[in-house]
Amino acid sequence: MGLLTNLRDSISRVTDGLFADDEPKRIGIYGPPNAGKTTLANRIARDWTGDAVGPESHIPHETRRARRKENVEIERNGRKVTIDIVDTPGVTTKVDYKEFLDHDMEKDDAVRRSREATEGVAEAMHWLREDVDGVIYVLDSTTDPFTQVNTMLIGIIESQDLPALILANKTDLEGSDVQQIANAFPQHETIPLSALEGDNMDEVYTKIAEYFG
Amino acid sequence: MPHQCTSCGRTFPDGSKEMLSGCPDCGGNKFQFKPAGATDDVPADDAGRASGSSPADDATDRRPSAPADATPSDQAESTPNDQAEPTPSEQVGSTPSDADAPTESDGTEQIADRSDEDTAQASARSEVVSPDELDRASREVDAAEPSQLADEETQPGIDALRDELNDQFESIRIVSPGQYELNLMELYDRQEYIISLQEDGRYVIEMPDAWGIQDE
Ligand SMILES: Nc1nc2c(ncn2[C@@H]2O[C@H](COP(=O)(O)OP(=O)(O)OP(=O)(O)O)[C@@H](O)[C@H]2O)c(=O)[nH]1
Ligand SMILES: [Mg+2]
Repeated sequence: MGLLTNLRDSISRVTDGLFADDEPKRIGIYGPPNAGKTTLANRIARDWTGDAVGPESHIPHETRRARRKENVEIERNGRKVTIDIVDTPGVTTKVDYKEFLDHDMEKDDAVRRSREATEGVAEAMHWLREDVDGVIYVLDSTTDPFTQVNTMLIGIIESQDLPALILANKTDLEGSDVQQIANAFPQHETIPLSALEGDNMDEVYTKIAEYFG
Repeated sequence: MPHQCTSCGRTFPDGSKEMLSGCPDCGGNKFQFKPAGATDDVPADDAGRASGSSPADDATDRRPSAPADATPSDQAESTPNDQAEPTPSEQVGSTPSDADAPTESDGTEQIADRSDEDTAQASARSEVVSPDELDRASREVDAAEPSQLADEETQPGIDALRDELNDQFESIRIVSPGQYELNLMELYDRQEYIISLQEDGRYVIEMPDAWGIQDE
């Protein structure tokens, strides 16, 4: 990797930041690996800007660097809300390359993916501390929401007083249980959706406008 | 010399607060972590020998020359760790039945990584390797004994480096190459963050004030 290139990049990012005023709210899309964060980010970006944010994959830790889509203008009820969406790497407490071997990956690639995934979690956590104004927390509604990662992240989000929406994704799947997510985080509003099918996106946009506008 | 500015090469003792607001000399905001005793100067042939040195030997060899501001408790705590029984996770990581992938692939990746890193950073690093450090590194190689099994999943000489990284940066634990445990609270609480983690125990960190992410 080119350190100097990175350094130059980061310097230009700083100057970008210095001269931009009145920035739109930066909304981090957080959640465990494979929940559908990128699928959601792509859907939002495609619906309102025409572009995509990043690759989706059934293999966990597809997203290993945070990716931002700026100036996404969402119109709701005659009102315009502009946000930056940040698709973040899935957060986990353990990364093991062996998990990737099941997906027909060579060991070298699996080890590398796992290292990048770990760096990605560090990046996601750093962002949560420094740089987001609100959070969209995405959960796969076919899986158990009572996990250490979810509890810890939601706890951090609450301790920071960040506005947060909880999305119960993959409602198109058989085992989807939205109520279980609502029960797990009763202090937050839970919105069901299928990011893949585009089901219930209207409500998602209404809530985004309401929470982050 | 745990941290080094990647633009001007200035080094900082571990935990130095100076780094937190960027390099005082050049304003750079990226710092490379370099565990004591890690050198790129060890040729590939010697790396095999280095792997023979037990973590305990490395540790005792290295500790006395740790930076002056390293707290005594750090040193005291880590030494028993280094010598004692492997941690449970390490045992899991090196279960023989898991070693289904050819071991050569480990070696190949390792060497490839190493040389990539060399090319990218050689100039920055070569300016700052202290004679003291070179001396230490060569003593470690001399002291190496070919006592460890070659089919171990860990990489040459990595155990001690890993322990040291774990001591100094407890937010990420390198269980074995490709296996990590993350302390989310710790990652969240730290002001700086890791941007590049290397299996040989190095990482590059970036300070928050200059922080940004990739735009699409
Ligand atoms: N059935 C169904 N599958 C979905 C839905 N949303 C996402 N997926 C699938 O779930 C898998 C993971 O989706 P991603 O969007 O890559 O997940 P992610 O949260 O970004 O994952 P990481 O980047 O690894 O953290 C992909 O195979 C998606 O096609 C959904 O609403 N329904
Ligand atoms: Mg993703």
